[in-house]
Amino acid sequence: MGMRITSNMMSSQTVRNLNNNLLNMDKLSNESSTGRKINKASDDPVGTTYSLRYRAELAANQQYTSNTDEAKSWLDYSDTVMGQAGDVMTRIKELTVQAGTGTTDSSGLTAIKDELEQLKGQLANIGNSQLTGKYIFNGQQLGEEPYALSDTVTSLTDVVTDTGQVTYGVSENVSLGVSTSGNDFFGSKVDKDNVFATIDRLTAAMDANDHAAISAELPNIESRATKMSALRSEVGAKTNRIELIQSRLEDRDLNVTTLQSKVEDADVAETLIKATAAQTVYQAALKTSASALQLSLVNFMG
Amino acid sequence: MTSTFHSIETSKRSLVTTTASLSTVSHNIANADSAGYSRQVVHTSATNPLEAVAFKNATSAGQIGTGVEATSVQRVRSLFLDTQFQGENSSLGSWDIRSDTLNKLETIVNEPSDTGLQKVINNFWSSWSDLSNNPQSTTNQKILKENTLALTDAMNQMSKQLDALSNNLTSSVSLDATTINSLLSTVGSLNKSIMSVESQGNDANDLRDSRDYAIDQLSKYGNVQVTQLSDGYQVNFGGQNAVTGTAVTQVTAASLQAAYEGGTLSSGEVHGYLLSRDTYVADYKTQLDQLANTLANGDLTVKLPSGSVIPEGTVLNGVTYSTAAGNRTLTSDLTVTVKGINGLHQLGYNSAGKAGGDFFGTTDGSGTVTAGNITMNKTLQDDASQIAFSLRTTGTGTNEKVVTGNGGLALLMTELQNTKMDFGGTTPTTVQDYFNGIVGQMGVDSQEATRQAANAKTLTDQVDASRKSVSGVSLDEEMTDLIKFQHAYSAASRFMTTFDQLLDKLINSTGRVGL
Repeated sequence: MGMRITSNMMSSQTVRNLNNNLLNMDKLSNESSTGRKINKASDDPVGTTYSLRYRAELAANQQYTSNTDEAKSWLDYSDTVMGQAGDVMTRIKELTVQAGTGTTDSSGLTAIKDELEQLKGQLANIGNSQLTGKYIFNGQQLGEEPYALSDTVTSLTDVVTDTGQVTYGVSENVSLGVSTSGNDFFGSKVDKDNVFATIDRLTAAMDANDHAAISAELPNIESRATKMSALRSEVGAKTNRIELIQSRLEDRDLNVTTLQSKVEDADVAETLIKATAAQTVYQAALKTSASALQLSLVNFMG
Repeated sequence: MTSTFHSIETSKRSLVTTTASLSTVSHNIANADSAGYSRQVVHTSATNPLEAVAFKNATSAGQIGTGVEATSVQRVRSLFLDTQFQGENSSLGSWDIRSDTLNKLETIVNEPSDTGLQKVINNFWSSWSDLSNNPQSTTNQKILKENTLALTDAMNQMSKQLDALSNNLTSSVSLDATTINSLLSTVGSLNKSIMSVESQGNDANDLRDSRDYAIDQLSKYGNVQVTQLSDGYQVNFGGQNAVTGTAVTQVTAASLQAAYEGGTLSSGEVHGYLLSRDTYVADYKTQLDQLANTLANGDLTVKLPSGSVIPEGTVLNGVTYSTAAGNRTLTSDLTVTVKGINGLHQLGYNSAGKAGGDFFGTTDGSGTVTAGNITMNKTLQDDASQIAFSLRTTGTGTNEKVVTGNGGLALLMTELQNTKMDFGGTTPTTVQDYFNGIVGQMGVDSQEATRQAANAKTLTDQVDASRKSVSGVSLDEEMTDLIKFQHAYSAASRFMTTFDQLLDKLINSTGRVGL
């Protein structure tokens, strides 16, 4: 059936087509100006849910990264402090060997004893090391100075440090304890090689000029130094683990960002080409409509 | 034998009829753009012939024509296309509103973005994580408080926006009812006018156009069904009888609602409004409420680490933990199900060493947490240091003190972002996945509604084009008719002049012999 075309039909058809073209141009210009192909959920519902997931993952990742940074600075600081403690132990050993030879006279021993007292103080200082206001050797009792004397704790040997672990959440449902207990590091009340007890016994032996008793402490010093360096190695190993986690987080960040970009970002070149094409179509539509709508028998009748 | 002046009468009829056709052309041109106008055509036919009395036999010249008359002026219109248009237009009305509402919902939810609900949820988890790193930090406690309030504010605001949208939809129905009633009245009074015109045997073309146009407009608001009865159109709107002859039954917001619920109002704007309100908006509000309530109170399973100290008198998995029973300090990990963040918060201690109470509360004091009333527990809002973060205490009785370096509770809170919670009825899922579900469903619904609206628009436009193809005024056609009728008029005039000359000859120039 031949269709009658009326001028009214033509004009409404024209308006509709121009409107569709404009709509298309608007969509493309929105895409290219935001640089995103998903601007609302209905643009791509499935893509949107992916996008939301990626965003949540990135946010969590960012938090994990900052947590690992904190954990790492804790471990780095522990390593430094433990290194210092190791140096002190070396010096204690040297002094003990020197004092134990029997050739050192009482005045020599007094000098050594004085130095040992100093070293003991230094170890207590190390035991009270703080990182941003937190005592690192006191487990979760971060606010309490562990190696301090009081009414109940009269000797550094009797110090009981907290056994709780300072823990950081470093990735999804993975948390890592990074702290070292002071009792583990310096020895507990009952440990024979508690470093403070050892120094106390050494100074007592020096007061008594007892060379044999002095030498007898050498194995204790040796065993404590070994334990200290073992704990320091553990810190090093944990640092490695944190670094691995960090690089994994970085990789994941990169991967997820790439995925997110694939889902969310508009292909600029493609969008621009499409936008240009849409413009051309729109212009052509305007031009042909303008001339077509002018045509009517009315204009040709005298 | 015909009358002497017979031919003058014949040509007069020709002039009159052609004038009627020309007037109709003019009427068509004038209304080329009028909404609802259908072109009119003058139907003409030859008038009854004269039997020439004297020659009534086999050799007669037969009947003498007496000219032409306009028998009727009728509109060119297709009833079938009208019905089709009204159906498609109703469907378009409904989908238009639905897609519009879903667009608004998308704006309210505003995802994916850097400012939506998800962002504040992420910030909430991050704040707990920061607090777990530095549990004793009052700064972190305050940041957590602010981020919690940002989260609850965002939920409150979304809930308010949904309520406002719902109210808008309700008042739109009332507004539509007014328009519908005005259109129904128009149909009623046109029924009357058309009856009175047509009882005299004429076609009330323009009035009929107006009445059909009113029905067209009516079809945008709801499904209409029109039956032509002897006393005019009987209109059925949304399954209810609305016009019979001049009797109009007005609709109300309540009657429209009842028709929607009864399933008889099945398309049109009103249907779109009611469906949007009772399905889309209500659904999203329910889901958002569920999200808020689950965060606060939904069942979730956590693992309390060994070494944790459970607050005095707490009952978990049917076991009462107390100092008297000597079981408060856990010697091994304990997996328990607690009631949401509130339940978990109650297992921890704040800097004052007190067990944390509820973490969330309601702004209206109601016992049921919804997106509209969720807020942070007032006590915690007033004093962020009341936020529990630690799972350990030392000492007993009045000497019991919190271990402030323990961020165990904060750490468990952070891990909730990967913990499946009970969102009521459905399989337990994480907060993230539940929210994703809401946004994803909205996206699909909106995409579907937009597509359906576009389809309905195309169909309506197509039917309308078919209708215009039948009923529309074509200027080219009218111009052609104009030329045709102009020439017909000229020819009739010329005939009249010719006959005039004939009579002139007869009257003035014959029988004048010898003058």
